[in-house]
Amino acid sequence: MAVATETSAGTTLAHKVLGSPTLRLAGRRLLAAIPVLWGVTLLTYLVMNLLPGDTAQVLLGANATPAQVHQLEIRLHLNEPFWVRYGGWLAATLHGNLGTSLASGENVTTILGQRLPVTAELLIYALVGSVVLAVLLAVLAARRPNGIADRFSVVISMTGLSVAPYVLAVVLVYLFAVRLQWFPAIGYTSLTASPLQNIRSLTLPAIAIGFPLFAVYTRLLRADIVEQMQREDYIVTARAKGVPHWHILIRHALPNSMFGLITLVALNLGVLIGAVAIIEPIFSLPGVGAILVSSINNHDVPIVEGVVLVFAVVVVVAALAADLLYAVLDPRIRL
Amino acid sequence: MSAPLPDLLTAPGAVKAAPARKKAHGKASTLRIWLPLGFLVLLAAACFIWPQIYPVPKPVGGSILEAGLPPLSPGHILGTDPNGNDVLSRILYGGQVSFEVGFSVTVIGLVIGGLLGMAAGYWRGPADAVISRMLDVLIAFPALVLALAIAEGLGPSELHVIWALAIFSIPATGRIARSNTLAIREQDFMLAARLSGTRGHQAIIRHVIPNILPQLMTFALLGFGIVIILEGALSFLGLGIPLPEPSWGSMIAQGQQVLSATPEQALIPSAFLFATVVSLNVLGDALRERWGVR
Repeated sequence: MAVATETSAGTTLAHKVLGSPTLRLAGRRLLAAIPVLWGVTLLTYLVMNLLPGDTAQVLLGANATPAQVHQLEIRLHLNEPFWVRYGGWLAATLHGNLGTSLASGENVTTILGQRLPVTAELLIYALVGSVVLAVLLAVLAARRPNGIADRFSVVISMTGLSVAPYVLAVVLVYLFAVRLQWFPAIGYTSLTASPLQNIRSLTLPAIAIGFPLFAVYTRLLRADIVEQMQREDYIVTARAKGVPHWHILIRHALPNSMFGLITLVALNLGVLIGAVAIIEPIFSLPGVGAILVSSINNHDVPIVEGVVLVFAVVVVVAALAADLLYAVLDPRIRL
Repeated sequence: MSAPLPDLLTAPGAVKAAPARKKAHGKASTLRIWLPLGFLVLLAAACFIWPQIYPVPKPVGGSILEAGLPPLSPGHILGTDPNGNDVLSRILYGGQVSFEVGFSVTVIGLVIGGLLGMAAGYWRGPADAVISRMLDVLIAFPALVLALAIAEGLGPSELHVIWALAIFSIPATGRIARSNTLAIREQDFMLAARLSGTRGHQAIIRHVIPNILPQLMTFALLGFGIVIILEGALSFLGLGIPLPEPSWGSMIAQGQQVLSATPEQALIPSAFLFATVVSLNVLGDALRERWGVR
C-alpha cells in the first residue's frame, strides 16, 4: 500500500519540504483533479448549451419579438460560437470571475456568497447529525450481532435506504409541521436573526437529507465493526488480557472501522447536490440548490456552472481530506 | 498512478458491501426473497394487467364535479385528486411508468456500462485509461443536475427521462463491472484460458460475464430502486413525465400542495413508492447474502 517513499537522497530543507508526503499527496491529488474539474465544467457547458431551447427566448418569455430576442442574444454574447463562449467563461473563471447571471445580471460570486452559507449550514447539520447517530447506532448494533439493537439498526437502515428524500420531506412536514406544529413547514431564519428559529427552520430539511445518509452510514459501519471484532487478532489479544467489552468496541474496533465510513462520506458529498436541489425548494430555503433548479429552467449557464464547480471542488477537497484522515487514524499508512 | 489505499478508493461497490452474517437463517432468508418478490410481481401485475382486464376509470380527464373525493368513495376506492381523476387509476398507470423507466434504465446501464467496464478491466492499458476517466467525470458530475438539464433541454417525456437517468446508471454499473473484472482477471482459471488461446471477447463472454453476473445483478436491483426514486424526483420537479399523465413523483408534488387539507393525496403515492423501493432493496440484499456477494 505504501507508495514509493524511498526519497532518501533529500537532505536539504528544500528537499524535506518537497519530500513531505502530505504535501506530495496534496499536490498529486490537486493535479489529478484539474482534468476532472475541467471535464465537469465542459460537460455542464455542453449540456446547457447544445440541448434544444433558445436561452434568450426563455429569458424574455413567449411574447418577445424576434428583434428583441436577437438584441438580447448579442448583449449576452449568445450569438457567438460555443467554443468562444466556453473559452471566455473558462478564462474569466481562472481569474476568479464566475461571470454574471443571464437572468438577473447579478454577479455569480455574489449570489453564491449569499446562498452558499444556507446550503452549507443545512449540509453540515445533516452530515454531522447523520454521522454521530450512525456511529452510536452502529456501535450499539455491533455489540451483539443479531441482538435487539442490531435488528433495529437493520430495519432502520433498510427504511432509510429506501425512502426518497422528497417522500420523507412530505411525511415530515405532514407529521411535524401540519399535525404537531413543532417546526415551521417552510421558510428560513438566518443564524444571526435568531439562532433557535434558525435551527428550527433547518431541522426538517436536515432530517430529510440526513436520514438516508444515516441509514447508509450505519449499515456500512456496523458491518465493518462486526468484521473487525470477528477477524482481527488484536481483538483476541485485548480480550485475553481482560479489556472490557465496551472498551474494545470503542477504543479498538471503532477507530479501525472508520475507513469505509470516511471514504463514503467524502464520496457522497457530490451526490448531495441532488438532494439539496430537491429539498431546498420544498422548504423554501434560499440556498444554492433552489437557485440551481430555477437556473437550469432558465438556461442560466453561469449560475449552473458556478454551483456545479463549487460542489466539484468540495468533492475533490473532501477526497483529499479523507486520505489525510486515514493517516491520522492509522500511522502505518504512509501518504 | 497508484493512490494510497487503492482498494478503498477505486471500488465503491466493495465499500457498500453487505454486512457479513455468520449464519444465514434458512427460513428467514427464503422469506426475505419470496416476500418482496411476491409483492413486486403482484404490484407489477396490478399496474400492467389489471387495467387491461378490469375496467378502471381513466387516469386523466376526470370531471371537476368529482374533484377531491375522500378514499372509499363509491366508484373511487382511493378517492379522486383535485382535478377529479381517480387516484387508484393514477397509482396503477403511474406504477407502469415507474417500472418501465426503472427496467429500461437498469438494462441500458447493465449493457452499456457492463460492456465498457468489462472491456476496461479486461484489456487494461489505454482503453482502460480512457474509459475510466470518462466514467470518473460522469461520476464526479452530479447525476441529478445532468438528468435535470437533459430532461429540461429535451422536454419532459418518458423516453427522455430514461436517457437522462441512463447517464447516471452507466458509469455506476461500469465501475462495478470494471472492479469485479479486475478481480476475476487475475485468477488462475483466467490465466489457463489465456494460455489455451482463448481470445479476449471469448474470454469475456465465457468466463467474465458468468463470474461477475451475481455482483452486477444485485447491484442492478439496488439501482432499480434508485432509478425509481430519481424518476419520481424528476417528475416531482415537473421535468419528468409531463402532466396530466400520471407519475408517482408528480402525484406527490400535487398532493404536497394540499397537504394540510387532504394529506392522503401525497401519502398514498408516497406509500407505493416506498413499498416498491423497499421490496427491491430487501430482495437485492437477500440475494446478495444467498449468492455470497460482497
